[in-house]
Amino acid sequence: MWIMQGIDRPNRVLVTGLGVISPLGSDASANLRSLLDGQDSVAPVTSFDVTKTRCKTAGQIPDAWLKNGLPTGRVADRLHRGARMAALALREACQSAGGANPELMVIGTTGGGMSYGELFYRRLLTTRSRKGFAKLVGNYTPQKPIQDALELNQLRIPTQILTNACSSGSNAIGHGFELIRHGLRTCVVCGGYEPLCELVFVGFDSLQAATAEKIRPFDKNRTGLVLGEGAAFLILESEKSAAQRGAVALAEMVGYGVSTDTYHLTQPHPSGIGPRLAMQRALESGDMEAAGIDYVNAHGTATIFNDATEGAAISDVCGQVPVSSTKSMMGHSLGAAGAIEAAFCVLALREQFLPPNINFLEPDPTWKFEVVSNHSRAARVNHVLSNSIGFGGTNATLILRRV
Amino acid sequence: MSFSIQGIGAATPLGPTGLETWSGLCRGQQAPRTRFTNSLADRSYFVCRVPGKFVADAARQPRLRRSGTISLLGAAAGFDAFADAGLKPDSGLSARMAVVFAICSGGVNYTRRFYHEIVTQGANSASPLLFPETVYNAAASHLAALLGIDGQSYTLVGDSSVGLGAIHFATELLTIQPQLDRCLVVGTEEADWLLADAFASWRIATNRDQFEVYGRSGGTIFGEGAAAVLIGRTGPLAIAGSSPGLPFRSFRESESAARESFGNLRAEGLPEIIVSSANGTFADEVERKVFSEYYPAVPVYALKPAVGEALGASALLQVAVAGLALRHQQLPGTLAVGSKLPSVNRKTRSISAYQALVTSVGFNHQVNALKLCLTQSPY
Repeated sequence: MWIMQGIDRPNRVLVTGLGVISPLGSDASANLRSLLDGQDSVAPVTSFDVTKTRCKTAGQIPDAWLKNGLPTGRVADRLHRGARMAALALREACQSAGGANPELMVIGTTGGGMSYGELFYRRLLTTRSRKGFAKLVGNYTPQKPIQDALELNQLRIPTQILTNACSSGSNAIGHGFELIRHGLRTCVVCGGYEPLCELVFVGFDSLQAATAEKIRPFDKNRTGLVLGEGAAFLILESEKSAAQRGAVALAEMVGYGVSTDTYHLTQPHPSGIGPRLAMQRALESGDMEAAGIDYVNAHGTATIFNDATEGAAISDVCGQVPVSSTKSMMGHSLGAAGAIEAAFCVLALREQFLPPNINFLEPDPTWKFEVVSNHSRAARVNHVLSNSIGFGGTNATLILRRV
Repeated sequence: MSFSIQGIGAATPLGPTGLETWSGLCRGQQAPRTRFTNSLADRSYFVCRVPGKFVADAARQPRLRRSGTISLLGAAAGFDAFADAGLKPDSGLSARMAVVFAICSGGVNYTRRFYHEIVTQGANSASPLLFPETVYNAAASHLAALLGIDGQSYTLVGDSSVGLGAIHFATELLTIQPQLDRCLVVGTEEADWLLADAFASWRIATNRDQFEVYGRSGGTIFGEGAAAVLIGRTGPLAIAGSSPGLPFRSFRESESAARESFGNLRAEGLPEIIVSSANGTFADEVERKVFSEYYPAVPVYALKPAVGEALGASALLQVAVAGLALRHQQLPGTLAVGSKLPSVNRKTRSISAYQALVTSVGFNHQVNALKLCLTQSPY
């Protein structure tokens, strides 16, 4: 297998740092507690008007969490909410890695600082004054919150920002993994960030992909998704680099697969060929059989189309594996989702449990796999597989191993 | 591992292909400036637009019938790069190919329209037809579909330097994946009044119909367009150096980052030409200082006075022009030049060059540089 990929002995890639902030918690340990408890963090939207949308809820990070140790005053005024999320998750990842020196950041997002663009437009419609416009323009681009997060963590490293829709976070981690595995880098910080914004919220609502009810991934009577937000980073490092500085490995990354489903811009091919190919390619990349997968953290948005196609693909590739979608607890955080879910997978490997798929009422008999319904449970977990599926037909699968 | 540019494509205000754009630049053409107005405010801006007829072939594709201009431009440039390489996209090629897109503002026209509906008519009136095309990777998805690519498709977002980072990303993919033969890298951007107005409030864009480079920094004029390079493993136009770029936070930091980024590529020999990102903003002064220090005698060509600042497409267009300059051994003359950088090439002339440096100072994020090298005599 390795010879087919042109490398005789690929580098082992270890996860040596982890940071995550999500509606489920302000750091990794708080997220872990919520996963174990099966907490539902979806709540009514507070940051913009939802009186005319069908869906009125989302997973949101409390503002108070986003002030933890970050600057106050003028600098704080300009920081986008996304910058705060990214800065906090990055800080935790760097601290947990204990002295790692990442050479590169690879990060995914879909909206970046979009809410500043929204504010710019609303002010344009209502006022002739241009006071404050420059701040909004200068900070709305997807790269600016990342610049701020890096600066707040005293890092000055090149950054690759991937915007592959909802698979962005997984793509970022997968690319960082490949760079280290093939010896192009020794330490990469990768992840995703996504603040909730009105335009995207209404977008999903307009497509009738968002639900007015609870989000019920893989339920026979699922009605759609709710959105979420958050940020997560993994510090990936070659085994050699980690050993040289005595770093503790949290998990090992072993596989990455991608595919592009060109069927439609927003709908997956009904056969599930997109996620199936990504999973098969990830297994091939990890030189392992599907039978070795102990848990699948599914993309599981709870839309009719996503779950039908992804469910078919998981059934075909992995058979009777335990599956859950942690989006049931915090909503879909789009470009950050793959990174947050990879972080959850590391926690599952470390703590030997299966995160739950809450709000689950009725199984869909179409699929072979078992949904980890409503409650987390202890389990022997050596390999986990995490799927991400996005608009534009992007599919990405990560495989992580217990160390 | 070495990589080469096998095909060059573009769709710009000067022409529907890379070669026609190149001819226009060599003839000293300046793209017409269209006045942009909007009922939202009484401010108007000039922009270099791509005529609709230049993307007519792309617009006939059923997949693109509802897509935004950004996707049409990207598809046109991508197909042109294939044609330039003497290749026809087919399943045999696409199975061993990846697509990487470079974007800055993305589908801003559809985004503005969609959000305008939300604000003025209410969220329940926002069109579901518009929203999917607002997604950053829509253009990449469309082109991947047209080319039949089921593997790797990535979109990178950044400032006007993102194209150079995208080329570096493509070389990483080709290094990691020996089964890939080629990677098509496309930079594309569409113009919109909102973009000009936003950047004017940030003092990046001007409302005049001209701007000069390496002179008084009064802001730039936006352009739209796309450029594409088909990167493979063999060919006479080698990518001799690339990087993901370096971040900067301040003017002072941008200078040190540019010194590091541009200077890193001196080790393999001095370039004979430079294709710069000068656009009438602070970026000109950053480039001027570093060029004066490291490359004082190397002729510099800046194409943005001719075609405008096309953001995500800019750096790819610079690479396309640098490649064509080496291929044709000719360097166009820079239009509208100030007096601050004596080494600017002012008239189209023949050159004898094997190496070209492409530089980019982005407006809020990164600097980057890339070197191209002819591996065979052009004569």
